[in-house]
Amino acid sequence: MSVLDGWWDDFFFGLMTVLQVFSVSLVIAVVCGLLGASAKLSKSRILRGVAQGYTIVFRGAPELLVLLLFYFGMAIALTQLVQLVDPSVKFIDLPPFWAGSIAIGLIVGAYMTETFRGAFLGVDRGQVEAARALSLKRHQIFRYVRLPQMWRLALPNFGNHMLSIMKDTALVSIIGLEEILFVAKMANSLIHRPFLLYMTVALIYLAMTTVITLAVGWLERRANRHLRGAR
Amino acid sequence: MSFDLSLIATSLPKILQGLGLTLNLLAVSTLFGLILAVGILLMRLSRRSWLVWPAKAYIYFFRGTPLLVQLFVIYHGLPQFGFIRQSVLWPLLREPYWCSVIALSLNTAAYVSEILRGGVLGVDKGFVEAGKALGLSKFQRTTRITAPLAVRLALPAYSNEIVSMLKSTALASTVTLMEMTGVARTIVADTFAPYEIFIAATIIYLVLVWIIQTGFTLIETYANRHVRKT
Amino acid sequence: MADIIVLEKMNKFYGTYHALKDVNLTIAKGEKVVVCGPSGSGKSTMIRCINRLEEHDGGRIVVGGEELTDDEKKIDLVRREVGMVFQSFNLFPHMTVLENLTLAPRLVRKMATVEAEAIAMKYLTRVRIPDQAHKYPSQLSGGQQQRVAIARALCMNPEVMLFDEPTSALDPEMISEVLDVMTDLAREGMTMVCVTHEMGFARSVADRIVFMDQGEIVEVSTPAEFFAAPKSERARTFLGQILAH
Repeated sequence: MSVLDGWWDDFFFGLMTVLQVFSVSLVIAVVCGLLGASAKLSKSRILRGVAQGYTIVFRGAPELLVLLLFYFGMAIALTQLVQLVDPSVKFIDLPPFWAGSIAIGLIVGAYMTETFRGAFLGVDRGQVEAARALSLKRHQIFRYVRLPQMWRLALPNFGNHMLSIMKDTALVSIIGLEEILFVAKMANSLIHRPFLLYMTVALIYLAMTTVITLAVGWLERRANRHLRGAR
Repeated sequence: MSFDLSLIATSLPKILQGLGLTLNLLAVSTLFGLILAVGILLMRLSRRSWLVWPAKAYIYFFRGTPLLVQLFVIYHGLPQFGFIRQSVLWPLLREPYWCSVIALSLNTAAYVSEILRGGVLGVDKGFVEAGKALGLSKFQRTTRITAPLAVRLALPAYSNEIVSMLKSTALASTVTLMEMTGVARTIVADTFAPYEIFIAATIIYLVLVWIIQTGFTLIETYANRHVRKT
Repeated sequence: MADIIVLEKMNKFYGTYHALKDVNLTIAKGEKVVVCGPSGSGKSTMIRCINRLEEHDGGRIVVGGEELTDDEKKIDLVRREVGMVFQSFNLFPHMTVLENLTLAPRLVRKMATVEAEAIAMKYLTRVRIPDQAHKYPSQLSGGQQQRVAIARALCMNPEVMLFDEPTSALDPEMISEVLDVMTDLAREGMTMVCVTHEMGFARSVADRIVFMDQGEIVEVSTPAEFFAAPKSERARTFLGQILAH
């Protein structure tokens, strides 16, 4: 691997960028997922409609297209917004980091909406009734009965969504963010070892997804402690 | 803010010129992917570890890495080797179309084999035991009992995978193919009206997703007609 | 007034299906009432209306002097005084037995944890499984789970206990351990409304038997009358079917 000497630093910083995009997207996705699920479960027809539209669009459109729309579209919108205040501004470039993180967060948030909604409804109705019969309040039922079990029900899908976010971070190289795939492209233009370089990128991603898979597996075993019963 | 609705209308037909290639990529890769998936599934379910192990490794690699990176390894990476450039496959491997098809097929095969495995594992053992008790052979039990039930169980997840494949075809635009996203990107480069053009493209994708989902709902209704309540 | 539950001309619809038709029933404090009838006769629906797990569509329900309406506060008041045991136990699977028992006393009665645990242990001893306090529900047998569910309801110190087919989901050898606990409870003077097909239990414990069919109360009798000479043809048919095996 000595051909890659001199590039390891770049790969390292590229990986840091990947992890940053991953973290920010994950936070956005969880927030969007919780808001979306609450909206879908709410009594308001308008909120349900908005949430429905959100999930249809963001689960149906190609990730790349959403990313490009956000990157180029938001730059224009931002420019026009700033020009209202200061007409001398010619163009504002939305940092690809934020365009990418927001786009990925919104896309995966649409999937999380469905996961959280399913987990909420997946909690056995009988238990909710038992809690009501014990005269627990709505928010108490949510906090003590639903939420702890939602987590367990949502976890497998949640793990898959985290893997999606990790893999989607590769797309932000297309809008010029210097993550590992971008580094590989740069390096290739100088040392012409495309297979080696792109395979290195693949293996770094494989390592990341492996860590996520192991972590989620550990969390699932913890969450299912109470189920290793006699039966 | 200037938002030109008429631009959406005028760009729709232009983007639709890429529809043929999008559907072509989708259909060809789905077909190859399915064939490959069944092979991997049989290896994965076999009792011989020298068959199970490569299948697991294959699934692990293709599900654990981004499709875009897989596409780059195949399209940009493989020509690094002289023997590839001299091989009989070279006429295929230097075409971005075939590289996209190969990447999409290899990628989806890993997911589909796991979807099918989920279906097989979901089949109630009682049915298989009933088949044994009736004296059906292992082959008969597999083809007459396990497979049809497994396919029914796997259908919903499989329809999601097709939708996901449709969205993945957009990545072919990164290796110069002029499918719908590729066309849209070109138009944006000319007009610099990203909102209108990309939204127009999104609308077409959403319609395609709707058609796929409706189609699968019909298939599922038909496949599950034996449990329909009157 | 000694009447703790009053149902007056209560009606319930599911869409166009008339599930309960003009149900009238008054239950006095300390009374034990067994409700029986064929499946789909509305008995579960009726007792689920008493703590408003189902909303009635007509007539009046008065529990402990409070009429059940849309008023959430009154519903809460009623539910605090009415304990319920379900066919499928409905224990919270992510909490230990002790946590299941102390949850409502802590949250609803604002009891200190130590106090709630002391009460929980008292009732676990009553239902004869104090040694299972720190296990999860899935580690217990069905009979043990149902006894935990009874203890959970008792921890709220209710005035009335509702039982919705408490033994129907149990293996035969576990039924008696649950019925024994219920019989003890009856001897201590608890007001009980119990949907069950356990006719032996009904005979020995019930003050009155309510027989329902097709959403109506067909007859109300003492166990002696009901088993010796049911007044209605429908009750005779039902008893014939249920006692035949």
